Amino acid sequence: MGHQPDLRPVRKPERVFSYFQKEWPLVVLFSIAGIVFNLGQSVVLVMQGKLIDTVSERSPFPVVLRATGFLLLMVLFFQGCRYTKRFAIRHWANRTIARMRQEVYDHLVTQSLSELEQEQIGDLMTKAVGDVDISVEGIRKTTTEIFDTGVLMAGYAATLCISSWRITAMCVWWIPLSMFLASRLKTVVARLSKASREQQSRVTGMTFDMASKTVLLRTASMEEPVLARYRQELKVLQKKATLASLLESSLGPLYQGVASIGFIFVLFFGGKLVVDGTWSIGSFSSYSLLFSAFTVKASKASKLFNAWQKAQVSFGRIRPLLSGHPKEDTTIHHPLDPERRLVVSHLSFRYPQEEKWVIKDVSFTAEPGEVVGITGPVASGKSTLNIALEGLYPYEGSVKLGGWELRELSGFERGTYISWQGHQSELLSASIRENVTLGEKGDISRVLRDVAFDKDMERMPDGEETMVGSSGVRLSGGQGQRISLARALWRGSPLILLDDPFGSVDLATERHIIHSIRTHYTHSIIILVSHRLAMFPETDQVGFLSKDGRLSMGTHQSQMEGNPLYREMFELQQKEVEDHEKR
Amino acid sequence: MKSDNPTLRVAWKVTKEHPWRMVLLILFIALVVSGALLPPQVLRLIIDTKLVPKTTEGLLSLTLLYLGLLLATNLFDFLKSVLLTDYGWRLVSALREAMAEKLRRLPLAYYTSHTPGSITSHFSSDAEQVNSLFSSGLINLLIDLSKIIGIFLSIALFSRLMALVALLFMTVMFFVTLHFRGALFRAQKTNLAQLGKVNSHISETLANIHTIKAYARESYMEELYSKRLRDNYETLDHVNFYDSLFPTFVQMLKHGLIAAVILLTCSKAGLLGITIGTLAASIDLISHLFQPIDLLGQELEKIQEGKSGLARINEFLSEPQEVPKDERLSLHDITPDGSAAITFDHLSFHYPDSQELVLNDIDLAIPDKENLAFIGRTGVGKTTLFRLVLGLMPPSEGKVTYNGVDVYTIPNRLKRHLFGYVEQEFVPVEGDLFEQVRLSDKSISDSDVLKALDFVGLSSLVGKPFHASGLSQGQKQLFSIARAIVANPPILLFDEITASLDAHTEDHLVHVLFKAASGRTVLAISHRESTMRSARNLVLIQNGRIADQGTPETLLARLKEREAKEEDPAACR
Repeated sequence: MGHQPDLRPVRKPERVFSYFQKEWPLVVLFSIAGIVFNLGQSVVLVMQGKLIDTVSERSPFPVVLRATGFLLLMVLFFQGCRYTKRFAIRHWANRTIARMRQEVYDHLVTQSLSELEQEQIGDLMTKAVGDVDISVEGIRKTTTEIFDTGVLMAGYAATLCISSWRITAMCVWWIPLSMFLASRLKTVVARLSKASREQQSRVTGMTFDMASKTVLLRTASMEEPVLARYRQELKVLQKKATLASLLESSLGPLYQGVASIGFIFVLFFGGKLVVDGTWSIGSFSSYSLLFSAFTVKASKASKLFNAWQKAQVSFGRIRPLLSGHPKEDTTIHHPLDPERRLVVSHLSFRYPQEEKWVIKDVSFTAEPGEVVGITGPVASGKSTLNIALEGLYPYEGSVKLGGWELRELSGFERGTYISWQGHQSELLSASIRENVTLGEKGDISRVLRDVAFDKDMERMPDGEETMVGSSGVRLSGGQGQRISLARALWRGSPLILLDDPFGSVDLATERHIIHSIRTHYTHSIIILVSHRLAMFPETDQVGFLSKDGRLSMGTHQSQMEGNPLYREMFELQQKEVEDHEKR
Repeated sequence: MKSDNPTLRVAWKVTKEHPWRMVLLILFIALVVSGALLPPQVLRLIIDTKLVPKTTEGLLSLTLLYLGLLLATNLFDFLKSVLLTDYGWRLVSALREAMAEKLRRLPLAYYTSHTPGSITSHFSSDAEQVNSLFSSGLINLLIDLSKIIGIFLSIALFSRLMALVALLFMTVMFFVTLHFRGALFRAQKTNLAQLGKVNSHISETLANIHTIKAYARESYMEELYSKRLRDNYETLDHVNFYDSLFPTFVQMLKHGLIAAVILLTCSKAGLLGITIGTLAASIDLISHLFQPIDLLGQELEKIQEGKSGLARINEFLSEPQEVPKDERLSLHDITPDGSAAITFDHLSFHYPDSQELVLNDIDLAIPDKENLAFIGRTGVGKTTLFRLVLGLMPPSEGKVTYNGVDVYTIPNRLKRHLFGYVEQEFVPVEGDLFEQVRLSDKSISDSDVLKALDFVGLSSLVGKPFHASGLSQGQKQLFSIARAIVANPPILLFDEITASLDAHTEDHLVHVLFKAASGRTVLAISHRESTMRSARNLVLIQNGRIADQGTPETLLARLKEREAKEEDPAACR
């Protein structure tokens, strides 16, 4: 694309004013355009009146023609201002929305894992998406209305006063009265809307229950009473929603009615002024049109209050997300010592919100070039060991890599030193290459060969640039796993944590991958969690994690000899391998 | 089959509920439309009969007439709005009620192929779209159309030439509107698609957050997001261009028409032949002509949107329903003496979208008070078996009977007292502790609930607020058992309920199960040895058939051999 718009963040993102300050040329532009346009509305109406006078005074046609032409030019000019104002305000709003969205996103993504897992994902997304939009829309509408209502009405009022301050003094009071009524009702409207929305939530919740708990409803004979209660709640909702709707949007005509009462004075006293010659018919016409436009505007004032109310609520919800985010520190303050050993000492781990210790008092060491196999019975916490070793959550005890305790390292350093492959492939909607490199540069052909993806590559329509993930080519479970394995291996990090990378590959591929790992990644420590033990004889160490969270470390041989559970698991799989190879 | 539009039928029913309100609505609409046309005529009268001849006699009454008309119009506008809002919400409620009733009659298969989210959207966004279609779309379209015709006719009454000129301008307006709306629509579509990408980036981030954190690639994700935001931003500016230009254009047309009328009025030929009063009134009318035309466009859009919501609701309401149950059956008919003998009579079952038989010719007679467990690999059809026993799905062949009565014909309202079904997952409901056990059955008293809780050993929860998330797995299972026994059914069905418990909790649970089973027929599904051993008889299901039956001792020995060969020890649960 051509030019990329500058949407860098503002300095104090939690203050609405910052967004105006950042775009001050735009703000000045739409302010001037807005004031000129809105004042121009009155001017146009007055000139229209004068034009009518030229007709009633039977002026010669060329005069009328000139006056008409002049009027049209003025209209063109003012409409031009209007266009500028509208476009500039929306342009500002678009930029602000983009900025705020970026800010909210950056804030979200730089929170720690434990913080993120505490909030509900649905709520997070609603905030990140919905509230930003409502806030900016509300700010935009309010800003627009300051001109379209505030300045405009000031212009009208001034013009009316100039035409005849006496009449204006009589007829104008009804307008602020109607606006005052609108503002008094504002709190009532807010309260009723809230009650209506809450009831709507309740009904939606009941609907969702009816749609998702079918088996329970039918086997526990709950359908009839639940339906009866649903009908009741629907009735309540109907009443509340109707009332809230009415007060929110139907009162416009009533406000306009109240504001219009002033017309009596306009027509009667204005008429008298025409009769006694002070006013021309044109002046009379433009005065009435002005006043009429004035009353129409007054009826829209309630909308302004509601928009502002909504915007405040939404902005309140996202303000905590706009409070800035830590800038990533990309320098290495803790370089690894040349031995790059992994020393785990009395490591205990549990997830932040849970009570059960999944890993208890685990100790072992590993040297670069070693492949450490970790296994154990189902649900014994094998994957959790890798998660503990990542250092993303708090842990007890000590895990040192290259001489540094994991908790002392920054996020960037951990990301540089440790690679992790989880149970889910976690692919992004991006190309294969981006999924492997996560946006960094470098050749990936070798690592794809290491994970035996080169053959699959031949079938990919765009090679490395083939888009995968939710909007691209659908990869099989095994293919996705191998991509995420490639991602973990590509960096050649000092510590590589793999969780069940062979879950969906056949034995031959498994052999190939282990062989590649042993040959090409001799500078890394590889922790391989798996319940498939066929390749465990090829490892340097084997750890067995039992159900109580304790690890017994040894080699394949020592485990076969001293650990009956391990031997049983291994032998059962061996038999399967043999059966498989016989066929 | 006559062409079916269930939604329209509901709309018609709502209309007939309060016929006078509809009549009033039509009346108010007519009054609102004429209210747009009459005041300019009074203005014309004021100017022509009072101001031009410069007399104030009768000015006051005409002024009062003008004001009266204005106020009356505003009042009628408001009342129209009241009736319309009232109708709209009654319509939405009636639709939701109709759909809720439909939920009861849908076959269970519908719920497996449609997510709760998509079903709920019929009740929320689709229903609201239909509301929009009628109230903001259709009715307002009628009103605005009438206003346009009325204004146009008023102008035509003043001067046919003026009407012609107005028609010319209106035609230009119409075509330009089409062009603008077309361009706007296309830009909006692109906007929506990009917005989808922007939003999916967020959900993707959250779904892959672990990887992002592990590799410390937050800034990379931020950049990706930034790129998507910028793409969307450019489209928004495109939308902005059309959106800002359009009203400007409308205003130019309006003033152009006014200018044309003025010029024509005063040209030498006095082409229009109208008075000053008429001119002033015409300008007033013209000022009110263009806004409804603009609104027409928006209303047509709302109708378009609404039609898709309407179509979806119609589709939902036309879904084929279950065969109706036999409402004449009573508890006494089925189990006069509290017995429960279940018979599988050549039962076969396959899911509607496949021919593969999940259950193949199951023929088994289970006597009253028998204690039986079904075993076999996971996913082999055992839960399906239970669903057939509960009469939740129709068999493909054969039937299941409860004391001789075909279970599929039993109405759901009797099932609580016939079956005690304990599912794998505990499903909490809205309400306090007592409600969790009572499950909306008013015939179950608080003391019944207390007895049930005591029976399963959950009395310690009484008096504390109920939080489903605070319950341990074992407590949830005990709760499910309490629910099942409180209605004292003659048969209990246990579906894998010891699956994910630790040894200690399992012990207690098995003890409770044992207590609950005494004096009742019990069917269980399990793959845990302890549960299997407590049954009196086991039935092995394999490939949809009964492969073996016998007592636990004999059958389990045979089973161990089989499982070592078949069950893949590497399969993750």
